[in-house]
Order: sequence, then C-alpha cells, then structure tokens
Amino acid sequence: MPEPRHRSGGNRAARETQILGWLFVIPSLLLVALLILVPMGHGFLQSVRSGGFLFGEKPGYVGMRNYKDVIHDPVSREAMVHTVWYVVLAVSLELVLGILVAITLHRVFRGRGFVLAVLILPWALPSVVSGVLWQRVFDPDNGLLNFVLLKLHVIGEPHVWLASGRGAIFYITIVHVWGVLPLVSLIFLAGLQSIPDEVYSASSVDGAGPVRQFTHITLPLLKPSVAIALTVGTLLAISIFDEIYVLNGTALNTRSILMQVYNTTFVQADFAHGTALAFLLAAATAIFGVLYALALRRTTV
Amino acid sequence: MTPIGWRILRVIAILAIVVWSLGPILIGISTSLSTQREVNAVPSHWLPAHPGFQAYHDLLGGTSGHAGGTVTEKGTFTRSVYNSAFLAAVSTFFILIFSTMAAYAVGRLRFKFGGAVLALLVGTMIVPIFVIVISLFKVLAEPPIGPSLIDTRLGLVLVFTATLTPLATWLLYTQVREMPPEPEEAALIDGCSRLKAFVRIVVPQMSSGIAAVAAITMLSVWGEFLIPLLLTQTMNAKPVTVQITEYVGKYSTNYPILAAAGVLALIPPALLALALNKRITGMLAGSS
Repeated sequence: MPEPRHRSGGNRAARETQILGWLFVIPSLLLVALLILVPMGHGFLQSVRSGGFLFGEKPGYVGMRNYKDVIHDPVSREAMVHTVWYVVLAVSLELVLGILVAITLHRVFRGRGFVLAVLILPWALPSVVSGVLWQRVFDPDNGLLNFVLLKLHVIGEPHVWLASGRGAIFYITIVHVWGVLPLVSLIFLAGLQSIPDEVYSASSVDGAGPVRQFTHITLPLLKPSVAIALTVGTLLAISIFDEIYVLNGTALNTRSILMQVYNTTFVQADFAHGTALAFLLAAATAIFGVLYALALRRTTV
Repeated sequence: MTPIGWRILRVIAILAIVVWSLGPILIGISTSLSTQREVNAVPSHWLPAHPGFQAYHDLLGGTSGHAGGTVTEKGTFTRSVYNSAFLAAVSTFFILIFSTMAAYAVGRLRFKFGGAVLALLVGTMIVPIFVIVISLFKVLAEPPIGPSLIDTRLGLVLVFTATLTPLATWLLYTQVREMPPEPEEAALIDGCSRLKAFVRIVVPQMSSGIAAVAAITMLSVWGEFLIPLLLTQTMNAKPVTVQITEYVGKYSTNYPILAAAGVLALIPPALLALALNKRITGMLAGSS
C-alpha cells in the first residue's frame, strides 16, 4: 500500500516541477521574444527592403543591395577603418595596462582595499560622464594636455587635439580605456589569483628573477585571462559610441561604425541602410562573441 | 634590479593607478567649483581661487538666457535625475524577479527543454542593442495594445528589463549551480512544496548573488545612453545621461555647469560601487 502512494506523490512532484519550471521562465521568454527577437526580425526585414519613396525608390524587397551599398559607401568605409583603429588601440592599451595593474595589486599591502575600491570607480560611471570629465583635458585652447605639453616644451603652441585625424581617435580611445580598464584589470587579477604560489617559490629556488618569472611563468599561465580580456575589450570597443558623441559628436574624423549607423538612421532617416550597416556590425560582434564563449569554455574545462 | 628598486617601482605604480582612476573625477569636481572665467583663462586655472557653488546654482536653478553656450532651465536636470533613478530602480526590480525565477528554473528544476531555454536566453546576450534599437522604436511606437510607448518611462523599463534579464539570469544561474542543493532537498522531504522551498530556502541562499546582480543592473541602467537617446524626446522620460549631453554647447561650452552635471550624475553610481565593491568585483572577476 505505501508503495503506490509514494509513486503517485512522486508523479505529482514531477508534474509540479514541470509546471513550475515553465511558469518561472515564461516572463523572461516573453520579454526577450517581444522586445529582442521580434525587433531583430523586423530590423532584418527592413535591411533587405528599399528605403522607399523618401529616397525616390519603389518600396519592396531589394535583396542584399543595401548591404552592398554600405560596404561601397566611402563614409561607411571610413567609419570601418576608424572602428578598427578604436579596437586595436583600446585592446592593446587595456591588455598591457591591465596586466601591469593586476601585477601591482596582486600581493597584499596596506591600503590595498582602498586602491581596489578606487580602481573600479571609472567602470561604474556612465561613459557619457567619463566623456564630460575628460573634456577639459582635450580643450583646444587651454586644456590640460596643451598646458602640460607647453610647459614641457613638447609643443610650441596649443594644438586642437580633437580636430586632427588619427590623434582624435587616440584621445577618445583613452577615455574609453579609462572606463574599461577596471574590468580588464579584475579579469587579470582573478587570473593571477589562480596561479598557485608554489610555482613561484619553486622557480625562485632555481634562481629566476622577477622579470624571468614574469615571462616564463606568469604570462603563459595568464593565457586564458588574456583570451577573455581580448574578447571583452573587442566587444566593448567595436560598438564605441557614447564617448565619441560627447567629445566630438558626429564629426567625420572620429566617426565609428555605430556613429555612422546613428547618423544614417536618425539624422538622414535612412532606416534601410542604417539597419544594414547595423547588421554588418552585429555579425562582426557575433564572431567575437563566439570566440569569447570558446575562450571561456577552455578556461573552465 | 635590487629588491628596494622593485619596491619603489611598485609604490610608484600604485600611486599612478590612484591618480589615473581619481584624476578625471577630481578635475571634474574642481571645474564644477570654479567660475567660467577661471576655466577660460589662458593658462587655465586648475584649482578655483574661491571655490563656489555658482555652477550648481545655475544648473539647478536655471541660467537666465545664455551662460557661455550652455542653457539650463529650472527643474530640468532634477527631473532627469529623477527619471534615471526611477528607471534604475523599477527596471532592476523586474529584472531581479524574472532572472531569479529563470535562473532557479534552468539551474535546479529538471523540466523539459530547460537546456534549450537557457541556450536561448544566453544566446540573446550576443544580440547587440544597436540592431534592435532602431526597430524597437517602431515596435514601441505602435505596440500591439495601448498607446505609443515612445518617450515614456514604462517603455524604457520594458526595454531595459528585456535587454538585461538574460545577463542577470546567466550570472545567477552560475550561482545556483554552485549552491549546495541539500537545504532545499531537506525542505522538500519535510513536505514543503517546491514553490515554498524556492521562496523560503533558495532565494535567501541566493541573496549575495542577487545583491551583486542588482548593483550591476542598476549601474548599467543608470549609465545607458544610446537606448534613451533614441527612445525619448522630452523630460517625460529623458534620463540624466541624455540630459547631460545637451549642456555640451555647439561652439563653446560652460565647463563649470557641465562638470557640475557630471559630478551630480556620478555620485549615485560611485556610492553604489564603493558600498558594494567587494561583491561587484567578485561577480565580475568570477563570471566574466
């Protein structure tokens, strides 16, 4: 007699689990479907249709034409080149500085908690605010950069930092790196923490100095963290927008792909080409996203 | 190099980290306490001779006409701060409810297609916001039911909840997987229902992760710029990040007013990050 009762109780519990499982995920699934998947599908349809009467075209399906247009458009191409620069500069700065910060803060010292708390502040601030805080540094007439360089006699007269081509991209990248470096440093710090102390003590017995220890032990063992930092840095830099908007607006010399998407869609009201360029950028992002997932898997296995 | 040499190098590096992290914030504070004349002087004054709150006064009380390229109106900035706080609090509230439930369901409950649900939710994290934001505009302008949600806080809350719930679910899922299942199992054996066990046992077990995720989502919503830039038009819903960019003048900017706005906008996230910094760093370093 107790046996069947137990079984029916088990069945009820199993059914309860099934129902509860679905009830618990339905709100998230509904939200994601309605506000992410539907707009994404909608956007894709827009990117393969013509811009419509506003642009003197018949509305309708045009296949990949909008994609071809934006790839051949000189301004979009320029934006792609700029974006590559943003990514390369940002990621290389973040990797080098991130490792240096992590090594500096790895060992315990008095005040370490304070420094760690201060370190994550730039990450917590809106990137728009970062742009505002840095604005006076690059002011063309009497910004901090001009002030210091004039004092040091590096330059003879004030320089308009944000107006020159590659230079402007470099300064905006620094503001971007200011906000992302805390995250990258934490990734490396976690990586360093996972290296057992014995590895170092064994090598110092062998007479290896700090520099040798770094190149022969630390760097190889940090490889997984480097992979994660690389992909996180790339994903954040490839869609750079806020800092550019605050510091230089839609100016051509610093326009990133996302800024070009914004300009095409909302300034020129050309939804068709805007979404096409957005999907191209999304494809690039997805590739790095997959690489990120692979890097993560390799570290956890 | 000698050990003392390394130690000196390390102290310099630590100081450099502090200066790099705090420097721009200190420049911002100093600028906000200066007058425009001091800032525009050649060479510029980096510390105000007589620190004052004129810029804050102008920002909050409004400038009569022009203040060197920057126009402010009484009540506008305060309203944008209120909007940001509302958006961060309400979005985070819904994100926490939905993601805690979903993380528990896919992490603990063995229900059919649970794995597929997790894959779908995590998969949407790869969808960049900018590909949906253009179409979101159309979806919100003509929703299936009710009036247009463009330029409403409700519309933004919906969008933030949808875009951040997958990340929050993933972060909490990793925590659920690491939690010992015994407390819940014991409660179930004692005749507790699954729902009751979730509310009484599992949620308290997840509280540290929930706090970290709450901080991360609040910071994200507070800092979000592109979405509200495109989906708001008036002070009805405009958050502080979008409002700040309107103080950047086209040809010249009143730096003290702009800096005052920046300083006021950075206080809430800075306090949150300082208060919860151990939890946040743990979660970021652990699962990124």
